[in-house]
Amino acid sequence: MSKILIVDDEPHLRLLYETELRRAGFETMTASNAVQGLEFVETMKPDLVILDIRMAGMDGIEAMQRILERDKRIPVILNTAFSSYRDNYLTWAADAYVTKSSDVSELVETVKGVLENKATAQN
Amino acid sequence: MSDERNLQRRMEIVAEGFFHSALPLILVQPDGRILAASRGVCELVKLPWGRLVGNPVGALFVPALDVTDCRDHGVCNPEYMQLEIQTSEGALLPVEVVCRKFFAPDLGREGAGIPGTGDPADREPNHCLLYISDTRQRDHDDELRAARLAKLSLLNQVSEALYGANLTLDQVLEAVLICITAGQGLRFNRAFLLLVDEKSGLLKGELAIGPSNADEAARIWHDLAYQGGDLFSMMTSYDQSIKQTDVAVNEIVRHMVIPLDQESNVLVRSMQERQARRITPGMILPGVATIQSWLGYGEFAVAPLITRSGMLGAIIADNAISGNTITDLDLEFLQLFANQSASAIENSRLYTELEKRLIALRKAHEKQKEDQETLLRMERLSVMGETSAIVAHELRNPLVAIGGFARALVRNLDDDDPNHQYAAIITEEVGRMETIIHDLLDFIRPQKLLRKDVAIDQLAADTAARFREELEKKHIELELDCQAPGVLVSCNPGEIQQVLQNFLMNAIQVMADGGRLEVRTRLLDGGVKVEVCDTGPGFAKEVADKLFSPFFTTKPTGSGLGLTICSQIIKSHGGVAGARNRSRKGAGFSFILPLPKE
Repeated sequence: MSKILIVDDEPHLRLLYETELRRAGFETMTASNAVQGLEFVETMKPDLVILDIRMAGMDGIEAMQRILERDKRIPVILNTAFSSYRDNYLTWAADAYVTKSSDVSELVETVKGVLENKATAQN
Repeated sequence: MSDERNLQRRMEIVAEGFFHSALPLILVQPDGRILAASRGVCELVKLPWGRLVGNPVGALFVPALDVTDCRDHGVCNPEYMQLEIQTSEGALLPVEVVCRKFFAPDLGREGAGIPGTGDPADREPNHCLLYISDTRQRDHDDELRAARLAKLSLLNQVSEALYGANLTLDQVLEAVLICITAGQGLRFNRAFLLLVDEKSGLLKGELAIGPSNADEAARIWHDLAYQGGDLFSMMTSYDQSIKQTDVAVNEIVRHMVIPLDQESNVLVRSMQERQARRITPGMILPGVATIQSWLGYGEFAVAPLITRSGMLGAIIADNAISGNTITDLDLEFLQLFANQSASAIENSRLYTELEKRLIALRKAHEKQKEDQETLLRMERLSVMGETSAIVAHELRNPLVAIGGFARALVRNLDDDDPNHQYAAIITEEVGRMETIIHDLLDFIRPQKLLRKDVAIDQLAADTAARFREELEKKHIELELDCQAPGVLVSCNPGEIQQVLQNFLMNAIQVMADGGRLEVRTRLLDGGVKVEVCDTGPGFAKEVADKLFSPFFTTKPTGSGLGLTICSQIIKSHGGVAGARNRSRKGAGFSFILPLPKE
């Protein structure tokens, strides 16, 4: 069962994503800020990280760069209310970019797709 | 010396002085005989003094002058006469005679012992003094004076007209030539205007005025003979009379080209010396023969058009039709007139230039104003846009939570539970709000992807062609292997071209010692593949999966973003970019773009 780390400073969104991803059969863990998120990446070795971009303190893009510096193989999905971040090439290193929506199915499907791609690449 | 002797001596001096006068004066005795005549009279009638004195004055004139009237009456009658005077050569010259009676002082009678009083008032008027003036000379002087006056007045008119009116440069040039040829003007038959062209360093014929033959001339001059008036009426009448006839002279003027560096050329020298010149058939000066051949006539005048700021050009004028000699006066006025014209031409040019600049300035000002307004409008829009974007984004997070959980409720509640319906309503309404936010943000974001249907083979070939020169220089052979003819891909052509360029540049860089570059297109199931292959060293297996990652580069000066951007561009088109080592030698970078489903 794949472990998904959700990093978002909005508690209600963390709860929503956890609920929906668990329902889809994933194991989840959450962090309320980027620093905690990086810690969990080290200690709990998630299979995929969902990163909010706008967070107090370190933002999601910097967190992604730090994650990728350590391990390029961990897939990262950027999840944000700001669709304009797509124009920032720094976000292009992410495996996927999903704009926040109350219909979480797009996020869930993206998680599945990215994990599948990773599995195919490894085989 | 006695007083008498003294007096006599003084009288001799007076008589001597009288004789030396260049003015024609005759002193007549009461008996009508000449007492004395001045040198002016001797010259006029061509007789020595001695042959005049003592003879009756009346015989000198036709009709004979009778001065007895003067002697008998208290005053001269008439005082003023127009007569003719006879010369010793038998000629009759028209003269004016003014007669003045005067009182000779009573000197008494020498030798008879009767003393004179020496007082003129004691005697009846007895002698006459005749002032004679040669009307020929006067008429000639008058004519000259009148001509000068007319020409000066014309100059004055011209300068007023040329400066005052808003004439265009062409009109000024035409006016100048008209004044040189007009009867009221300088009366030359033909005038040619040459202007300096600074760019080419040439003095070039610009405009000419004048009839081409005597018949035409006669007609024009007849037309104009009764046209008086000012410059403008002159210009208009001239315009009409001459318009069709100056074809020949304008044909001549078009051939007039003189390089300004021919400093010895008579025209160039005239300009440099700021001096008008008259050229006569016999003169041998550099350039004269050429001008004479242009004019088809030997005698002409040149006048430079000079202003304080430099040489504008020159005027050539001649009397090829009438054959009249060019006089000193003609030349003097041509020079004066040329000076006036030069300033007028320069003024007109400056004015035109000024007008042009003014228009340009006004346009620039308007443009600036427009730009400023656009900028302000854009700024306002941008502030509005930013504000809406921030608000929209901030609303998104809570909406996602509300809508997300409402969906969970819809899912978890039984269909017949009334709360199911409520939750469904919440979901729906949140969905509406999200759509509004989405549309709003999409509207604010500039539309970056402008898709067009592009023939992919053409695009690949065109892009490769841009590198042809560089490929040749680096001894790289290009092979186009395009096998998707006519296939259209919906894409942003600029972006796809950017990707191809990136691939091509990378390939060229890895083949520093030459090689072979292949650009291939292949039609796949549901897509089209474009690949750029090189015969370079290829890449190490370990870096294969990093090639498209940001900041990864094998080049010392690379940013490591080129392929990342390529990959993103292809992704944004719904495609995929990839790289492979070729089985023989080199690498291949490719992308696949999806084709629209049918």
